Amino acid sequence: MIAHRFSVAETLKHAVLMVGALIVALPFYVMLSTSLKSPGEIERNEGGFFGAQAVMTDEYCVKRNEPERAAIEAARRAQPGLDETAVRTALLATVRENCATRPAIFNYVSAFSEAPLLLYLLNGIIVTASIFLLQVIVALPAAYALAKLKFWGRDLVFGLVLFCLLIPVHAIALPLYIALAKLGLTNSYAALVIPWTISVFGIFLMRQFFMTVPDDLIDAARMDGMGEFSIVWKVMLPTAIPALLAFAIFSVVSHWNDYFWPRVVVTGDRSLFTPPLGLHEFRGGGGDGSLYGPMMASATVIVAPLVVAFLLAQRRFIEGITLSGMK
Amino acid sequence: MTTTTVAARRAGWAFVAPALTLMVLILLLPIAGAALLSFTDYSLGGSAPAWVGLENYEKILTQSRYRAMLEATLTYVLTVTPLSIGLGLGAALLIHSLRWGGAFYKTVFFLPAMATLMAMSIVWSFALHPTLGVVNATLGSFCGTGWLHQWGWFDAACRNGFPLWLGDRSYAIWTVCFVGVWQGFGFNMVLYLAGLTSVPRELYNAAEMDGARTAWDRFRLVTWPMLGPTTVFVVTITLIRSFQVFDIVEGFYEQGAGPSRSAYVILFAMYEKGIRENLIGIGAAIAMIFLACVVITSLVQQRILEKKAHYA
Repeated sequence: MIAHRFSVAETLKHAVLMVGALIVALPFYVMLSTSLKSPGEIERNEGGFFGAQAVMTDEYCVKRNEPERAAIEAARRAQPGLDETAVRTALLATVRENCATRPAIFNYVSAFSEAPLLLYLLNGIIVTASIFLLQVIVALPAAYALAKLKFWGRDLVFGLVLFCLLIPVHAIALPLYIALAKLGLTNSYAALVIPWTISVFGIFLMRQFFMTVPDDLIDAARMDGMGEFSIVWKVMLPTAIPALLAFAIFSVVSHWNDYFWPRVVVTGDRSLFTPPLGLHEFRGGGGDGSLYGPMMASATVIVAPLVVAFLLAQRRFIEGITLSGMK
Repeated sequence: MTTTTVAARRAGWAFVAPALTLMVLILLLPIAGAALLSFTDYSLGGSAPAWVGLENYEKILTQSRYRAMLEATLTYVLTVTPLSIGLGLGAALLIHSLRWGGAFYKTVFFLPAMATLMAMSIVWSFALHPTLGVVNATLGSFCGTGWLHQWGWFDAACRNGFPLWLGDRSYAIWTVCFVGVWQGFGFNMVLYLAGLTSVPRELYNAAEMDGARTAWDRFRLVTWPMLGPTTVFVVTITLIRSFQVFDIVEGFYEQGAGPSRSAYVILFAMYEKGIRENLIGIGAAIAMIFLACVVITSLVQQRILEKKAHYA
């Protein structure tokens, strides 16, 4: 092997790309770093990447555990010499002590306690998983029929699929919204899922894949007495795993990240918020440094699953995301 | 013939029936619905809708608020498309020609395509915050570097403060564009990298024999023409995605669409009119204009690809 000899051109290329990489990575750095720092450090813009992680008081925790009337009375009886204010101050001091925490922990704990982030994440999982599952249930048999079964009207149906590929979902958002509202379905999981159950792109993709499956495989299955229904799920599905995986990545990434459609159909019921909606709501709190830490912690929690999965299986992800390239 | 073919024929329809039904109910009827609604003054829960003819479209063409919409949308589309394609191609060419380390840059540049855009827009709005943000702090730390002050804009910013990227109407839409490019160019880079690996090596040798000496000659005579189909596709998909910008504006601005509606992009206008203000007629008209932009883009792409196919 030749050692990498120094080359001006090569170094220059690395320099240019490195500057680009720094700019691209900047918001990820800011997000992660801010999610670790204390409110003071955020406001003064100091502390490097990790911040000092000095002990701080969790004000939310203090507010939640403020000494109640009964507790103050009890403490006064125990120490009769003190007046009420002094007892209160003493109790408050204990609370503050118990609420001492490190900034990083404070941010991530508040992210989950100040907004129902766990619920949002759960909603995200429920919605993306149901969408993908339903898409497959609808698309796979149709794709098989369009690729391998001869029946009257097949070309017409396929033509319709190609036509529907042209339709961007945003353009039909209003009529769908009206229909869902008339059915009383806005603010429900159904509204988040139903419009996506039909993926013409999925049908197209799986059909192209099934075209490459040899007919002999299907004929053999028929010889064995398999019905068409079991052929789809027991013969075609296993052969389609690689294509299905790519489609899964495409579908999950786009719906986990989707903000537009949830914004349209979830109009107030916070218990139905998906992660991007929840984050937008969090942002509504506005302003001071004590909010940015928890907000960036939420953002990190929401962005992390896909980014980590991407870093672990890059080739598959790039394949899946650029699938829309075939449209 | 045999029973299997009859069964297969019956199964064929049974298998496409669910998909076909959903396609008609969820995609085709709503298209017709949106088209019809755009000629009415329909509102949800309101009185019976009246037919208003082309009034909604007339409003869009004449009222200043929609002028702002068209301006913001076109500015975004015409800025983000060339920049994210140019940067995507540039990055792909550089990475492709590297001897080592290409995979690292590829990973980093593709990250924004994966990350939740809403989350990252909020992060950007924080990074661009006038006082708390890291961007202005970093720029400010360069003040006093002599040669940079040759640059008039920088010199003035050092004296009067760096801009409110989101709040100043002369910067707002460009900041939105910046985040759009940031998010989109890695996707194009990946498509171009795939295109580059399929360019046969021999073509470069042949071009060199024919007198292509410089890197520019090789690019102009071999790489660029061979990337033609990729470029057609990249341009189409980038245009379509640019028309769909929405999350960035929502992530940046609490209410409205930036200072004096300078970031009033088309989908935001549709959402604001149709959903928030329940003026579904006008919202539907905006949706039809949006649809026209996207469909025309796709059709132009198909025409170009067909023409290419004839002499390829």
